[in-house]
Amino acid sequence: MTEEKKPEERKKRRTATEAASKIGPMVKATIGGTVQAREEGKPIAYSFICCCYDEIIRAMDIIPVWTENYAGVCGAKRDAQRFLERAESENFSRSLCTYALCGLGFDAWREELGEMPPEAPWGGQARPDMMLGSGQILCDPRNKWYQAAQHYMPDVPVYDVGLPWPAYEHDYDYRQVQDYYVKYIVEQLRGLVEFLEKQIGRKMDWDRLSELVELADRTWNLIYEAYELRRAVPTPMGTGDAMNTMVPMVFMMGTQEGYDFYKDLYDELKRKIANKEGVIADEKYRLIWGGGLPSWFALADFNYFNSKGAVFPVETTYRMVEAIYNFDIDLSKVTDPLEHIAWRWVKYWTYWYDKARKRPGSHPDVERLIQYIEDYKIDGIVMHEAFSCRSWHVGLIWQLNLLKKVYKDMPSLILESDIVDISSYNEADTRARIDAFIDTLEAVKSKQR
Amino acid sequence: MTAEDATGKGLSLVEKYYQDYGSRAGELKGEGKQIMGYLCAFVPLEMLTAAGFIPFRIIGDVNEPITKADAEMETIVCPLVRSCFDMWLKGRYKFLDGIVIPHACDSICRTYQIWQYTLNLPYSHFINMPHTTDDSSLKFYKAELETFRKSLGEFVGREISDQSLKEATQLYNQNRAKVRELYNLRKSSPPLISGVELAKTLIAAVSLPVDEATALIGDVIDEVKQRQPLSAPKSARLMVFGAQIDNVAFIELVEESGAWVVADDLCPGARESLTDVTPTADPIDGIAERYLRKIYCGRTYRERKGSYEDYMEERFGHLAAAIKDFKVDGVVLYIYKYCDPFGFEVPEIKSYIESKGVPVLYVEDEYSMSTIGRLRTRVQAFLEMLGSK
Amino acid sequence: MKKEYFAGVDIGSTMTKVVIMNGEMLASVIGPTGPEHRKLANRVMEEALNKAGLSFDEITYVVATGYGRINVPFADKQITEISCHARGVSYLLPEARTVIDIGGQDSKAIKLADGRAVDFVMNDKCAAGSGRFLEVTAESLGVKLEDMGKLSLEAKSRVDISNICTVFAAQEVVAQLAAGAALADIIAGLHEAIASRICGMARRLKMEREVAVTGGGAKNIGLVRALEAKLGYAVLVPPEPLLTGAIGAALLGKDMVKKAAESGEQLPRSERRLTEASIFS
Repeated sequence: MTEEKKPEERKKRRTATEAASKIGPMVKATIGGTVQAREEGKPIAYSFICCCYDEIIRAMDIIPVWTENYAGVCGAKRDAQRFLERAESENFSRSLCTYALCGLGFDAWREELGEMPPEAPWGGQARPDMMLGSGQILCDPRNKWYQAAQHYMPDVPVYDVGLPWPAYEHDYDYRQVQDYYVKYIVEQLRGLVEFLEKQIGRKMDWDRLSELVELADRTWNLIYEAYELRRAVPTPMGTGDAMNTMVPMVFMMGTQEGYDFYKDLYDELKRKIANKEGVIADEKYRLIWGGGLPSWFALADFNYFNSKGAVFPVETTYRMVEAIYNFDIDLSKVTDPLEHIAWRWVKYWTYWYDKARKRPGSHPDVERLIQYIEDYKIDGIVMHEAFSCRSWHVGLIWQLNLLKKVYKDMPSLILESDIVDISSYNEADTRARIDAFIDTLEAVKSKQR
Repeated sequence: MTAEDATGKGLSLVEKYYQDYGSRAGELKGEGKQIMGYLCAFVPLEMLTAAGFIPFRIIGDVNEPITKADAEMETIVCPLVRSCFDMWLKGRYKFLDGIVIPHACDSICRTYQIWQYTLNLPYSHFINMPHTTDDSSLKFYKAELETFRKSLGEFVGREISDQSLKEATQLYNQNRAKVRELYNLRKSSPPLISGVELAKTLIAAVSLPVDEATALIGDVIDEVKQRQPLSAPKSARLMVFGAQIDNVAFIELVEESGAWVVADDLCPGARESLTDVTPTADPIDGIAERYLRKIYCGRTYRERKGSYEDYMEERFGHLAAAIKDFKVDGVVLYIYKYCDPFGFEVPEIKSYIESKGVPVLYVEDEYSMSTIGRLRTRVQAFLEMLGSK
Repeated sequence: MKKEYFAGVDIGSTMTKVVIMNGEMLASVIGPTGPEHRKLANRVMEEALNKAGLSFDEITYVVATGYGRINVPFADKQITEISCHARGVSYLLPEARTVIDIGGQDSKAIKLADGRAVDFVMNDKCAAGSGRFLEVTAESLGVKLEDMGKLSLEAKSRVDISNICTVFAAQEVVAQLAAGAALADIIAGLHEAIASRICGMARRLKMEREVAVTGGGAKNIGLVRALEAKLGYAVLVPPEPLLTGAIGAALLGKDMVKKAAESGEQLPRSERRLTEASIFS
């Protein structure tokens, strides 16, 4: 009774694709690799996903430690509570981003001990040599987390990259401002390169960066094409798997390994479609995961949906790419690698703006939903509101309201829990809501028949 | 008829505007003026005034339970922002012609489209202020301000001239000079003005055209200088630190518990009301410099130049200076739930202030009278702790 | 010299406690529970006076504390339970540097130096860190609250309670019971959950040993053991943990009288009446 009990390990979730089942071991190896890299003295940087600097750090052989990933792993292994509590005991509110709280709790603990906290999941999170934050119009923790982490690691420098994109406005078109956005981002990235050069004592190999940027472009297009295969009926891959296959997209961009992963995924999906192999054989309801990060400790809920005849051929979450050949500029002509990255960034975030302008009263976020609903033959929408994250979980209700107004009424469900903090989750209640939602879908279907 | 004739001046007028927030803007709207709503300290009011608008700060109401907002806005949004939106949905701000929202924090910027679409106003604009403050960020911010200027100009049908910006800058600097004068009245012991009176004055002021606000603050200064000094013996002089505190409920609780609130780092308050715009040849230069670099708010990321200790001084040195200037005995960190920019700074601020030998009370609140009431025991215990030192 | 008597009245959310002291404790009464009884705190006071064989007028100074301290008509002074627990523990357990008080509706941790509070944290927003959590879950398990501690010591292992929301946790324990988990193991899990919440809060103080546990929670042996497991060392519990606040209140009253006599300053004193408490805020 007196010893600290180890949380119970979850059984491995059943995945539909081989690709998704490879991810767990890959992530484990990556995290283990960072701990080893630290021992070998290689430069390590705390990093955030979707901050434009993937190819830059890869080109400089800096090892990223994806701190959101580690928090997600702690959450998925249901072993985050002790780190959240540790953060709370440091006077961080439990209402703040739980990725950050988990990471800060872990860091405070590791720094106090001078070694990894006891039984740290997957060997622990390596101490960084530098931390790379960002300022976007998304996610305050991206500049507050690492700043707060310096309280425990005052010797570790932080660089914060400004990465805005133009808002969707009624009073002007984003093209009127895009040039100065791109120019600013380039200057910010140039500052980042200078900072990194100073930290590691080596110069950027610009040719290598250009190669990796080109590789990343190809990877973007490949991901888009692979994911579009999921339109098939029955769909060969659902959102539950996509919450795994997002890993190379956000953690391995600009690496050959990342590219190869999607090549394999593409081939596997093709094969499955040819064999008419679906996530489930008898699809009754096709759903979109229309917003919100998943509860990493409850990915098995996707299997529960499957058991009720529901599949998720598409999701907005972690689909952080669009086909580059669909952009309204020819990116291949932008040869400066930093400028290339900046344009890709701005064009990604403004991708749905023109479409929104064409439908009175619409908005890009809603246009994206509409497009997926039509392309993937969707019957209903599921979202998740994670209490601790304002970046991705504000505006979901409004999107559903607007969708109804400018497009059509559709059955929808908003689940409420968190990304990491399992104390916000109630399995029985969640499944009861899913059951009720399935009943609604069935009622709508039978009316249509 | 001006409002003054009907209801007196100075603190009694403050009371009227505080209790009936927006009443003056409603009158001015009736006279044909255009009123522009805004959230947060990061909208350059000089620009709105130069364009001929009366800027109007949107505030919430701690006395009013949030009921309508939840149909559009998630409950994980900062409770203050939700309350502001709720008040709007309940018709309190019908006189507004538009809304300007800055990139302040996630709760404000991620709800921009909700405001923009739900309220269906003739004008809306988002100022994409960078988080970082280096030179390229300043340049970008100036470009954003020029976009804002152009957009406002198109809306009112005339260009916003440099001259009008310079005049507006002067008006706001005069206002800030008056606020500084008001703050000086807190330095004596006991202070000449209570924390509640000062907060009410500043809150009333952000509902008024800048010239009226300046005159009102001037009248308050004259009035409190002439009246009998505040005499109630109180054990401690406190500073309150927090985000936007647009009501006096918490300050009142502190003062009822037996302390004077003599300093603050709040909006409206010291954070946003004391620093001038330096007049510059291109008026945008001075405006951009002030709003990006001179407002010390957690939403702005300040680059670290030297040691960690230097960094703490750079970020929080103004608090230590105010503690000294206003002879502060203790600091209350009054932080809203779901506030990432402030919440992540609590351990740093707490240890920084304590390193100066000043005790800190950290409380988290949810922006409602019922939750504020629950803080009473904590505040009293803190005062007992200070008193027994 | 006239003999001086000091009374401490601690009106908590579920219990009213009165002590009367001069050098030592002369009488103590722990009064009836439940909100409807709270306004009858004067009866508890009368009982204590009877026990001590004193009349109300003989009491030199009365200090009220606790949740219901505000409108006690028979007190000279109100002092928060934080200061009173600090004073009470310093008297009862002078080696303590930290107090963890687990009450019916809230919990708090207090850091002590030189016999007084120098920092504190408090949780009253969420029932999960208070006696209320155990009260609600005990009810849904069909167990008496006072039996929870002993029962949990029979646990062979521990059921993890993941929900900290009290309402959810109450559902969860019923589901666990239905799924065949042993009652003792579930209760042990509940103690672990609440101990974890309390430690998370208390650690904000950078706690120092020794740690004293007071309040109703300290009477639950299972909870005390769970706290010790979390902390990694043994804690101290006063002989009657419920009285700590009242004792502290009486002692603070005594301190004030002494200080006033020494400095010649006037003692803050309300016009007191031994009548019902009217309004509670």
